[in-house]
Amino acid sequence: MTNSPEPAKLVKTTAPNPIWTRLSVIWLVPLLALAITLGVAWKSYSDRGVLIEIDFADATGIRPGETTLKFREVDVGHVETVGFSENLSNVRLGVRVNKDVAPFVDADALFWLVRPEVTTQGISRLDTVLSGTFIEGFWDAEPGAPQSRFTGLARAPLAPDPSKGTWIELRADDAGGLVEGAPVLFRGLTVGQLQNLRLAENDSGVIVDAFIRTPHDQRLTSSTRFWDTSGISVSLGAAGVSLNVRSLATLVQGGVEFNTFTSGGTLVESGHRFRLFSNAETARESIFGDGMSDPVRFSLLFDEAVRGLEQGTRVQFRGVEAGEVVDISIRVETDTLGTKYARQQVVIALSPERMGLARDTDPDIVAEFLANEVENGLRARTAAVGLLGTTLVIELTDLDNVPHAIMKLDAEPYPTIPVGPAAQNDLAASAEGVFTRINNLPIEELLASAIRTLDSISAVAESEDTRAVPGELAGVLEEIRTLVNDLNAKDAGEKTVVALDRVTSAADTVMTEIEGLGDTLVSVDKAAAAAADMPLGDIGRNIDGILGDLRAMLGSEDADQLPRALSDTLTEAAALLAELREGGAAENLNSALGAAEGAADAIAAASERLPEVTRRLEALIAQADTLVASYGERSSFNAEVLNTMRELRRATAAFGALARTIERNPRAFILGR
Amino acid sequence: MTPEAIPTAHDCGLIGCTSCGRVWPQGTARCARCGAPLSPVDSAGLQKVWAWLIAGIIFYIPANLYPMLRTSTITGSQENTILGGVVELVAHHNYGVAAIVFLASIMIPLAKFLAISYLALAVGHENRAGGHRHLWLYEVVEFIGRWSMIDVFVVAILSALVQLGFVASIHPGPAAVSFALSVAFTMLSAQSFDPRLIWRGPTVNKEPQ
Repeated sequence: MTNSPEPAKLVKTTAPNPIWTRLSVIWLVPLLALAITLGVAWKSYSDRGVLIEIDFADATGIRPGETTLKFREVDVGHVETVGFSENLSNVRLGVRVNKDVAPFVDADALFWLVRPEVTTQGISRLDTVLSGTFIEGFWDAEPGAPQSRFTGLARAPLAPDPSKGTWIELRADDAGGLVEGAPVLFRGLTVGQLQNLRLAENDSGVIVDAFIRTPHDQRLTSSTRFWDTSGISVSLGAAGVSLNVRSLATLVQGGVEFNTFTSGGTLVESGHRFRLFSNAETARESIFGDGMSDPVRFSLLFDEAVRGLEQGTRVQFRGVEAGEVVDISIRVETDTLGTKYARQQVVIALSPERMGLARDTDPDIVAEFLANEVENGLRARTAAVGLLGTTLVIELTDLDNVPHAIMKLDAEPYPTIPVGPAAQNDLAASAEGVFTRINNLPIEELLASAIRTLDSISAVAESEDTRAVPGELAGVLEEIRTLVNDLNAKDAGEKTVVALDRVTSAADTVMTEIEGLGDTLVSVDKAAAAAADMPLGDIGRNIDGILGDLRAMLGSEDADQLPRALSDTLTEAAALLAELREGGAAENLNSALGAAEGAADAIAAASERLPEVTRRLEALIAQADTLVASYGERSSFNAEVLNTMRELRRATAAFGALARTIERNPRAFILGR
Repeated sequence: MTPEAIPTAHDCGLIGCTSCGRVWPQGTARCARCGAPLSPVDSAGLQKVWAWLIAGIIFYIPANLYPMLRTSTITGSQENTILGGVVELVAHHNYGVAAIVFLASIMIPLAKFLAISYLALAVGHENRAGGHRHLWLYEVVEFIGRWSMIDVFVVAILSALVQLGFVASIHPGPAAVSFALSVAFTMLSAQSFDPRLIWRGPTVNKEPQ
């Protein structure tokens, strides 16, 4: 046994190969596969896009995973989930938007559902019948702050891209035949559409938005005028009946046409307001066309009923047409005592431009301007114009002598302009003047005068002197007869024989010179005979008849009504008779006869001297000739007297009838029946 | 008769030719009869199996998540994953077709993954136990492997045939490629498996002789 330690047994172990030396290269394959798969997964995750939520009222035809979101008809996303909003009032669609367009989907993005639609303008989006509903979106090219919650539109917008045209706003009194989607025409060509028909604030009309597509929107200027072409217009004129239908679409759903009648307008921006006229004529003639779609309105309160005012009645501002009546209504008010009373409320629209203010003056400034004018006496009133005063206008004009009034600026619905009394038409005023004058005519006095006159006449006829006229005439004729007899018989003795012998001898010489003497004597003879033949009996009878009538008249009850007049008449008659007596016919006749007598005496005295005798005789005969001729020849006096008497009788009878008529019906004298 | 009773080539220090079956002493590099290289039976070959199998499993995941078919018809387009297609077929009461698709595209690949994994694990630990059952399992996996491509073929044929423009068209989805790769890797995995390992038993317990 040796103590030497044995060497330790050699423990031989093979060092294990490091694990990487035993690994096969084949392990690269699963690593590669893992890398590829992870890469693909990462890529698809990172490319997944952005999830946005869109609320719609309903989700007709929406299928999650299939319904796409399109932008300009290109798929840019799809619906992932369909759910509900918190209160179940809306459908909330979760839409995965592609990553490349997601930055552009910002606050101004619009979403709407595209479905097949059948309208009067045709059938649209028929492709969606097969392909199914999809969501259309529109957003601009400016990336904005991301937003994840949107509200979908109920209907497709007319023009999602505002750069493709111009949005304008039309204001009309009523919607008429307008329908959403109705076309906007320019010379009959559809260049736009209407949308969003709605009531204006404070119910003053309706507003509709219109989109005019590029490039037609370049035709819009501030002086462009729009009018309604809805329905059919039939006009009857000299050329016959004309039926005007613009297009089937406008017939069914209405339409709007525009044109620019005047130059000088400026290009309009989106949102410009235009007024929509009811037809082309009013659009052309309107004074509100110049870019002012919403004129300043005021109301007038008339106490009395104003007939003839209607919508469209012109309003004149100091003689210049500055507006028109837009509404007429009745307004019931309560006065301080609590009594209710109705007033006529007339709403007028005024163009500030026509009143000398700037085009787009603020309504408050216009009201202030008018309030100042009202302080200085400006009032509204109705006035009739036209030849017959049949056309009413409302005048805003300065009136004198009006009670102080102020404008109620805070009145509802519009500031109130105080009204003045209605203006009188000139013609009407003249007519009224005529009637006033007729009314003021002194008919009573006239009648009284006529009565007095007739009374005077009757008094004259009745007077003693008048009755004496025939007697005196008879006397005159008697004297003439005696004068003639005297001429024949006087100095017929020896004087005359001697004289006549001389006369005869002288006459032989002179006779040749005075040939007319024989004729003169013959005329004198004739005159005497005529005077003897005068129908004095007839005259007397006529006068008797007249007097009888007069008596009857005066004795009638008519006479009772005229006692005062009668007494006046009698006094006048007395004066007249005095006049007649002083310078009347009897006196003249007497003097004439006296003159004739004198002349006869002169002839007798001067008969010795033939030339003088003959000369005087000639004068006498001439005088007698004229005298007798005026009384006897042609019986003019006789005829005149007869006529006068007849007229008098007729006048008396007429007067009697008149008096009876007046008594029966006093009004008849004024009214004529 | 127990497995121990039967001596294997490995036990006798021989190595068999996988090509013609003749045995040679260990260390021989080449089969003198058929000229095929002789590879030693060791568990290093299992690495290949695992590598291919893992690659196949990795590609099988996107094959099921991504759509297999993209069908565009006039009413819209539709994308179907494998499982989604099966569900849809069931919903349309095409139970037979649904069963075939389910078997070919889901059941069989999964079964293959499990079978190969089981074999690869088993040969490393079990001592020849169940050698016959393992061999049978291996042969089934190898036989079925080629039919796993049926899905890919269907997609390829449909894509080629159904091209009717806007009316209908079918395009393969990203899952088709993944599925094809997955099947290919699984087949490679099955082929890398050396069935001689089934009979050799665990390597760790054996001392080289």
